[in-house]
Amino acid sequence: MASLLETLKFVKNLGVGEVQSDEEMTVIPLVGDSLGHIAAPDYLNFTRTTTYGSMEYENKDRENPAIIPANMMVRGKLAQDHAMSGSGVVLTASKRLFENACCIESSQGGYFSGQKVDEDVLPVGLRKSLLDPRLRSKKEYDKLWGRIRTWLSGLRRVRAGGDRAHLRDFFDEPDYKEALETFAAAFEPVENQIGALIMFNGIPVGLEIMPSAAHWAAYWKWLIRGCYGSQLIKLKESGELPRSTMILPEIPTNATSDEVKAIMTQFIDNIKMSIAPMLDAIQVASQNQVDARDNMITELIRTDGGGGGDIITQDSKPVYLSLVL
Amino acid sequence: MEKKLDSGMLQYVPKGAYYEEKDEQFTAVTKMWDGLFEYDRALFALTSILNGTGFSKGAMTHKLLSNPDVPQSGKELVPDGLDSEFERKVISYNLQRLAEKQMARAIRNLLMLAGGELHSRVNNSRTRKVILSFLFDRPCKEIDALAINFKTKLAKLVRHSLGKQDLYKVLNGDTALFRKHIGCYNALAMPVIHHLFNQVPKAANGIRGHFPKIDDYWCAKHAAAHGNIEEFIKLIPKLPWRVAMGFRNSYKLPIEKSAIMGEAKMSDKEELTTEAAVKRSGAKARKVNYNAQDLYDLWKALYYKMANDETDNIDKIAEAMEAKIKTMQKLDLGDNCAVVLDASHSMFGSDERPMHPFLTGLCIIGAIENVQDVFIVGGRWKSMDGTDKKVVFPANASPLWKGLVDAVISGAENILVISDGYENSVKGMFEHVYKHFKDTGYDFNVMHINPVFSADSKSGTARTLAEDVTPMPVGNYKYLETEFIFNQMLENTEAVKQILIQKYQKLIGGN
Repeated sequence: MASLLETLKFVKNLGVGEVQSDEEMTVIPLVGDSLGHIAAPDYLNFTRTTTYGSMEYENKDRENPAIIPANMMVRGKLAQDHAMSGSGVVLTASKRLFENACCIESSQGGYFSGQKVDEDVLPVGLRKSLLDPRLRSKKEYDKLWGRIRTWLSGLRRVRAGGDRAHLRDFFDEPDYKEALETFAAAFEPVENQIGALIMFNGIPVGLEIMPSAAHWAAYWKWLIRGCYGSQLIKLKESGELPRSTMILPEIPTNATSDEVKAIMTQFIDNIKMSIAPMLDAIQVASQNQVDARDNMITELIRTDGGGGGDIITQDSKPVYLSLVL
Repeated sequence: MEKKLDSGMLQYVPKGAYYEEKDEQFTAVTKMWDGLFEYDRALFALTSILNGTGFSKGAMTHKLLSNPDVPQSGKELVPDGLDSEFERKVISYNLQRLAEKQMARAIRNLLMLAGGELHSRVNNSRTRKVILSFLFDRPCKEIDALAINFKTKLAKLVRHSLGKQDLYKVLNGDTALFRKHIGCYNALAMPVIHHLFNQVPKAANGIRGHFPKIDDYWCAKHAAAHGNIEEFIKLIPKLPWRVAMGFRNSYKLPIEKSAIMGEAKMSDKEELTTEAAVKRSGAKARKVNYNAQDLYDLWKALYYKMANDETDNIDKIAEAMEAKIKTMQKLDLGDNCAVVLDASHSMFGSDERPMHPFLTGLCIIGAIENVQDVFIVGGRWKSMDGTDKKVVFPANASPLWKGLVDAVISGAENILVISDGYENSVKGMFEHVYKHFKDTGYDFNVMHINPVFSADSKSGTARTLAEDVTPMPVGNYKYLETEFIFNQMLENTEAVKQILIQKYQKLIGGN
């Protein structure tokens, strides 16, 4: 078994940016050079659902393949909301239909065909369900409904209903919506940021590395909001995560303003330095190929402790990593 | 009622803020208008004379005109110190003041009364008088310009005021009706009515003498319709550029865009905002009067040029900004002031108003007295080759605590933090450092202005940086005074009402 830190060695000049923390969530930005040759995010578009459980994406770039970040979801009017079962690769100037997608709005009919959609990434809890290779590859549109119901069940403001598996009941609820927006506003991408380590109460819950800073800039909000922010709300409301905030360093009363600056800087530096041992402690349990397109290979990583996610390589060099831990 | 006297009600612009969709903002601000109106109509009317956005003032005028001004249930409508006509005077004052700088906005505010911008139609005698007196109680020269620049909009307003039937009669020669509604303000205005409703004004009405622009318009239209290019080109310099471009496009005239962009008339603001379009069209560059521009527009123009590496006129813009800042009325926050400016990514604003919060922040710095130091947190610097210009663009995170420490080290007595209030660091670091300094005897004040404006920002998106530092949402540097008045209004409504009555008497006139 390799440690997660070794898996991360593929990123050249990987550095750590300014630590950002709000309530129980801490985001440690990872900065570095771009990876591989991947289409800019603007070239990739969700186009339609052809049947329940299918999602089509188009890559308009004529030179480079595009990567759909893991578990992207689309929500819109007069059609059933959908989510990807994993990440996806769409080759240059082409469309690709993913037939193992999940419906995430059980009693709404209709297909998407070009209308405006809101995008996000599935909450961590639901992403974890899709780490099971059998569930991920299954072509059954309702495969996530049971888990969605369970996920929604602990949330006080979500409309109750026997068989209702509408993830939008959470995302459209005004209080949760505002909380997620406010939450996302507390974090900002930093220069050359290509990824982040996300922690709840100081424990890693996610590791995301995109092919470039442009990709991070395009997707960070959906990750922080939809994936990690929503999970944090869920955990807090269901009492699974105790309230906590980072304890700030004591400043001696006789400290000069220059000393204050040094104490606070040291505090931040210590957090940055704590990353390596944390990642070193996470072991990669298995790594299996789930998709191959041209020179792009997607593998499903499983970590000890029930986490995992996708790593995508281009010409055998990793260009994308998304793990929920 | 829940007292919600937030200055946001005067600063609404119908475009999304960074964190809130516009419909949410509109709902929040409408609630505030309704609440204050219901609470105290006079206070509502007086509040509208403070600096605010055109849209807010239009919506407040709409509220006043759509509710009859008769006393209800014993409530006194006209407080001491005000005359019975004060509401009409306030409405008229707001419109005139707005028209001096933004005529298009003033006209759109009137159109709100005719159902514009999602408002309900208001049709009563007060409304008719407000519209028609605004349009026609002015010299022929001004009516002439209005009728050319805002032809369709004016037609809609006149139709709304007169009603279809009376309009038909006026257009068909009912002079008594014309005198009653329009002639009472300007007896010569009949050719204008013909023009607005696409009837060629008759030369016998003395149009050339009183309304030369309308005459030029019809001559140009005639030339365009008959393909008389030579004649049309001669008339281009006399036409507003949008009108000339409209004729060119409607009649498919074989004239280059550059001929119109380079020759037709433009306002000072249009010259600035279309500077890049003029350049792209291939027309020779127009001489832009930078000194006549607003500080915000100058910053915007400077950033546009910096972003696109355009060096032309950049020194002139910088000089105009310097002159503007030197002469503008400043707000005195006390001695030895330092500014901590948040230049993080979120200060870029929404796609609909790119750079707005950051540019507002820059303008606010210019509107404050005694600024000794500015500490910029976050951002990405950009220099322009071949010039000494270097500016910071919003980017990255904003560890605001660092800015505070630097400001304290500088010895500032008053520290103004311009930020959305999100620390993008470990939450609470600002307050931690702030409290340490306060508790250990450092003597300074901190004020927090939030330019990422949203109507409900006090309770919603503007975060408090420290317990005793209340964030003030300011969407436009011109509204600093408004914000300070509203802050007092929360504590003492009656005292503020008296301040506003005094302001009314000073600006509009007493009994």
